[in-house]
Amino acid sequence: MTTRNSFVTVLAGAVMAVVPVIAHHSFSAEFDATKEIKATGKVTTLEWTNPHAWFHVDISEICEGPAESEKNKTWKCANASGAQPVDWAFELASPNGLMRLGWSRNSLKNGEVVTVEGTRAKDGSRKGNARSVVVNGKRLFAGSSQASTP
Amino acid sequence: MIEWPALLKLAVGIGVALSVVNVNAQWPLREDPGLPRDAKGTVRMDAPTPRTADGKPDFSGVWMRAESGPPKEGRGGGGGGGIDIPVERFPYDPKGPPVATFFEAGGNMAGGLPYTPWAAELRKARLAVNARDNPDAMCLPMGFLQFHQQPQPRMIVQTRTMILIEYEANSGIRHIYLDGRPLPPQGEPQPWWYGYSVGRWEGDTLVVETNNLRGAEDGPHDGWLDVNGSPYTRQARFTERIRRPTFGHLQIDLTVEDAKAYTKPWTVRVDQRILPGHELIEAICNENQQFRQRIKID
Repeated sequence: MTTRNSFVTVLAGAVMAVVPVIAHHSFSAEFDATKEIKATGKVTTLEWTNPHAWFHVDISEICEGPAESEKNKTWKCANASGAQPVDWAFELASPNGLMRLGWSRNSLKNGEVVTVEGTRAKDGSRKGNARSVVVNGKRLFAGSSQASTP
Repeated sequence: MIEWPALLKLAVGIGVALSVVNVNAQWPLREDPGLPRDAKGTVRMDAPTPRTADGKPDFSGVWMRAESGPPKEGRGGGGGGGIDIPVERFPYDPKGPPVATFFEAGGNMAGGLPYTPWAAELRKARLAVNARDNPDAMCLPMGFLQFHQQPQPRMIVQTRTMILIEYEANSGIRHIYLDGRPLPPQGEPQPWWYGYSVGRWEGDTLVVETNNLRGAEDGPHDGWLDVNGSPYTRQARFTERIRRPTFGHLQIDLTVEDAKAYTKPWTVRVDQRILPGHELIEAICNENQQFRQRIKID
């Protein structure tokens, strides 16, 4: 890639990124912003649907973050090794917002190992709102509604 | 306007962060060769206002929200979607009306909006359940201020006799008639989610008046002006004064008259900036809407 092309790519990235993503439902009605989670496992499905895309992961390790107020920030992790992987579902932005962030309906393939960072559902079920997904060492931003809805 | 060194830093930073996923961008830009550009080929946001064949300002284009609020106080935007991107700022005009914020129409208004006791109670009740009845959560049309500040872009198509605003969010659509017809009497036709809008030119300002809106009396998802649920009622009358001072800048001053919800009329400002090369993306919100089932209220 020539220097000029790299620069164009960089600018295109900026232009795409500054189209902010999706405010849809009320984030706080469904998710708890104080319950940070980080989970690793294998993708089983990606539901490329409006108003939010969702994906399911067979989780092999799940970490719960410390409360915002705790100064000593340590994650508490539980490993599912030896046990059956556990199905979790994670919410993404809507397909239009994800497309502007560079996603497509093929961005997560079944069986791929991913690490998801986000926040947990309020009701304690195995659901989360994803902020980012690391797949093959690349971080995809998920267009979380956390910052844009009450 | 924009501070270029800062913008460049931002561009490089974000570009590096996202280039891995943007190499094969899923929605490529399609820039109009007729866009005003400087010698380096950059689109000139401060170029003169485009005009129609009959000399009126032409608002046509794809727009995203921006802001011109007082620095470090209320934010017009919010919602970087997991990326902390500042919303683009236009110069703050301390003589202008307070700049609305996405969550709060009165976010930059001293003392907030002049709610009547009825409206204050209703808003409190809406917030007590985390604004879950906001029409956006139901894929329904939003109030004008929430639409004007939605993070998703909107496209304006202007003809001599009407303006069409298509909102990518929830596939919203507004018609503004410019053919000189008067506003219809209240209740005729039956009030709509978007109300009935007519516009007239006062110099380079388009003055759009809207009545015949469904209001908060019509249901839990009706009459939401902003994300936090500032209400409006069936008797609301909105006046939008819309200008395009430069190629890149659209400015909307919205006045709300609604004696049931507010003790006096009030006006707030919303800014938008042009998005050269962008097109709207289909967003059929009701495809798989399960929010209310997931939070177990249906």
